[in-house]
Amino acid sequence: MNETDMIVSVILWLLAILLAPFFAAVILKVKAFFGGKKGPPLLIHYYTLIKLFQKGSVYSTSTTFMFKLGPVVSLCTAAMALMFLPVAGYRPVLSFNGDVIFILYLLGLGRFFTIAAAMDTASPFEGMGAAREAYFSIICEATLFMILILFFKLTGDLSLAAYLSGSGTLGLWQTAGSPLLFVVIAFFIVLLSENSRVPVDDPATHLELTMIHEVMVLDHSGPDFGFIELGAFCKLFFYSAIVSRLIAPFNPGHPVLNGCLFIAVLLSVYAAVGVTESVMARYKMDKVPKFILISFVLAFFATIITLEFLR
Amino acid sequence: MHIFFLSIIIIVTGGVLAPFLNRHFILMKSVCVLSIAFGCLLGLYYAGLQLTLPVSDRASFDYLHHFTITFQIDALSAFFLVLIFGISLLAAIYSFHYMHQAEKPLATAVNYLFFSLLVASMALVVAAANIITFMFSWEIMSLSSFFLVIHNYQKEENRKAGYLYFVFSHVGAMFILTAFGIMYWYTGSFDFGETAALTNTAKIIVFVFAFIGFGSKAGVFPFHVWLPHAHPAAPSHISAVMSGIMIKTGIYGILRIYTLLNFHTPVFGEIVLIAGMVSGILGIVYALGQHDLKRLLAYSSVENIGIILIGIGIGMIGVSSGKPMMAAFGFTGGMLHMLNHAIFKSLLFMGAGMVHHRTGSLAIDALGGLLKKMKMTGGTFLIGSLAISGLPPFNGFVSEFLIYLGCFEGTGLDRMAFMSILLAIVSLAVIGGLALACFTKVFGVVFQGEARSSAAENVDEKGLTMLIPMLALAGICILIGVFPRAFVLMAIHGVSGIGTGFEPALLEPFIRLTGNITMASAIFFAIILVALAARVCLYSGKTITRSGTWGCGFTQPTVKMQYTGTSYAASILAFFSTAAPLREDHSGVEGCFPGRSGYRSKVHDVAELYMNAVIVHPVLALFAKLRWIQHGDIHLYIGYILLAIIVLLFFI
Repeated sequence: MNETDMIVSVILWLLAILLAPFFAAVILKVKAFFGGKKGPPLLIHYYTLIKLFQKGSVYSTSTTFMFKLGPVVSLCTAAMALMFLPVAGYRPVLSFNGDVIFILYLLGLGRFFTIAAAMDTASPFEGMGAAREAYFSIICEATLFMILILFFKLTGDLSLAAYLSGSGTLGLWQTAGSPLLFVVIAFFIVLLSENSRVPVDDPATHLELTMIHEVMVLDHSGPDFGFIELGAFCKLFFYSAIVSRLIAPFNPGHPVLNGCLFIAVLLSVYAAVGVTESVMARYKMDKVPKFILISFVLAFFATIITLEFLR
Repeated sequence: MHIFFLSIIIIVTGGVLAPFLNRHFILMKSVCVLSIAFGCLLGLYYAGLQLTLPVSDRASFDYLHHFTITFQIDALSAFFLVLIFGISLLAAIYSFHYMHQAEKPLATAVNYLFFSLLVASMALVVAAANIITFMFSWEIMSLSSFFLVIHNYQKEENRKAGYLYFVFSHVGAMFILTAFGIMYWYTGSFDFGETAALTNTAKIIVFVFAFIGFGSKAGVFPFHVWLPHAHPAAPSHISAVMSGIMIKTGIYGILRIYTLLNFHTPVFGEIVLIAGMVSGILGIVYALGQHDLKRLLAYSSVENIGIILIGIGIGMIGVSSGKPMMAAFGFTGGMLHMLNHAIFKSLLFMGAGMVHHRTGSLAIDALGGLLKKMKMTGGTFLIGSLAISGLPPFNGFVSEFLIYLGCFEGTGLDRMAFMSILLAIVSLAVIGGLALACFTKVFGVVFQGEARSSAAENVDEKGLTMLIPMLALAGICILIGVFPRAFVLMAIHGVSGIGTGFEPALLEPFIRLTGNITMASAIFFAIILVALAARVCLYSGKTITRSGTWGCGFTQPTVKMQYTGTSYAASILAFFSTAAPLREDHSGVEGCFPGRSGYRSKVHDVAELYMNAVIVHPVLALFAKLRWIQHGDIHLYIGYILLAIIVLLFFI
């Protein structure tokens, strides 16, 4: 990789972090549209972040340094995951054989610290949220590794760049074809649960007892909370970008066209999240694992069917 | 070889001196700790030297004309010697302040005696080069650890734990002896190394018997039953040694038998892989359900043995299907995980020992908030928890990463192998997720939040020699996590002692891979530093207020309202309820003004449950019927012996 390429990759990485809050606002707009409301402005998340960064913080007397470390680590892991993401099919900042496994475990590190920060407060509600976060992510990880097996069978590679940059994704479709539709759905389910969206978790609910992610960050305030929010936007961007590259693996050729297509598809993925949130209610807690298990089953089917294609 | 024997002699001398010095408590402890530590250092130096040498060291002694005591140290043995001497060194240092009961000098002295014997016998086990030497060292190891388990023999449950351990280690030894017996039947020689005479069926039978025998030492499901009883009973530095390295001698046995048989059938790989997956998942599920900190750590050892076996199984399948890279990744990953597990598990047991020392309790749901007062214990325990959950940039990740790569290399195989490898990848992912849940539970409930009982209030941390090993181990966790190259190469050296039938492993992929991990970790630390700097800037000149935790509108919270470890694990355990049946006792809440109520829960281990029903009870019933043979009359006993000899004469 030469220097200009590297600089472009780094700029794209920074852009991804900077634009992540904007895309997340699209979900709010779509929900507002379904509710017959005007909705908040598209830059709402930037206003919120600036407001949070200007504030001070209130810390619970129960907490330790873990409480302050949690937001930093969760933001950093999400931001680092974006380094491996080929934005708009362009080469990512970092890429090596096995980086997908590294990313998944890195996100696990972020989860560990988020949970630890929640447990630090001695609040029963936060403990409850933490237990759910730990539980549901186990099944998500199984799904993701199942998808990884399929992708490895198709490409012989273990890096996001090989799957999603250049013509790699198109290659996936050409060998696997229709089973990849299963993978897209499975990945979308994982996206919903890992980013605490309806029907797994409702970020807009008012009762702490029914929350997962939101309840874990109840006690965070000020810049710490800003870090958590920004980290969550980055994580959502990461998953959505993967889904959008899977749906539209085309490279029109010109970099600007590539970018436009990527943004258009990305917007539609965010809109799909918004539509899901508008037309569905949150599942009862005991139904959630079954819902996420569906994603595993889909990925498993896709792999088995593809084995036949490969023969 | 001289250095090796010298180090063994120094270690044992320290232990033997202990009972004579028991009147001078501090002197006794100093002499023992110094001699064991010095012996371990010497052994470590020797093992490190031997690991890089291509030729193996051999020494032989004739004993009673018939038996030859032979030792041989090749790369595989040397790798295990590094583990044994390294961890024992730190455990010995730790024990200086941990063994604080000056009112029981003799018990402490006996503990040091058997500790030194355990260390020496473990070193001899991995150095043994014929059947007699091996079984001899193996028995000393089992017996000395048995006496260590019953250190606090006044408690009935500890005696029970010791008995259980005794039964398991000896039934296991019988299986190993059977395997060796079959080998002897074919070869007519006690030496390790001549197995060409065995037929293929015999080789499979030998492997299966040896796997059961060594598996019961290693804690492979369903032979792990003794582990969660024995580890909590033993003193913490002994648990660290037993869980960190002694159970690894079981893995050593499996690898040694595999090397000796030199028979590359997919059956071996499949057996090891399936046992690994089952142990891995069930071990961590049971760990999640425990209420006692050391029991939890013991079950987590079962899980980690599972991960190691998955790595080794992948390696064996790689060998039998002719995939050198898969074999190299699998074996190296398994070996490195052995090293890593020895490091973080002994760290965690030492942390648990410190908690027990300062609070007097190991009940997870009775503790809480220890991080505020015990910063070093809490901090090192956190690093151990992160490492055992396999998260980057800590050492557990590196070995699991290698095992994953080995698995993925194998996805090109045909149906049966592909299915088992697919399951292995998914189980590794599930194990990773469950381990994260398990150790966030431990750290969150024991070290964070508020103290749940008076025992956990007003604690402090004392004991410099207890803190130093913990800090050292935590440092090594990060060191291997960030700069894995030297350690991966060390594991590769160890793997070269296993006869894979391939050229020496291609080093280039490993060099590239470890470089990538170092780079990614460095970038991650850089990002963390930037974020921390940004945080400092954002908070400069801001008002920071301290107040109570937000109770969601409730203004009178008590510490009893905190989420307990039991409730944290409840939903995950419900998911696995078929494999981990939960028994609950709840006295219920009655009336408008309910009185005291209680709740008690226990997660059953299916292996323990069914082993009781299917093996223990029938065997006991059978023996009860045979009771008349044991009449206590000495004359008839001598008659039995004569009869046995006469019957044996017919077979010779």
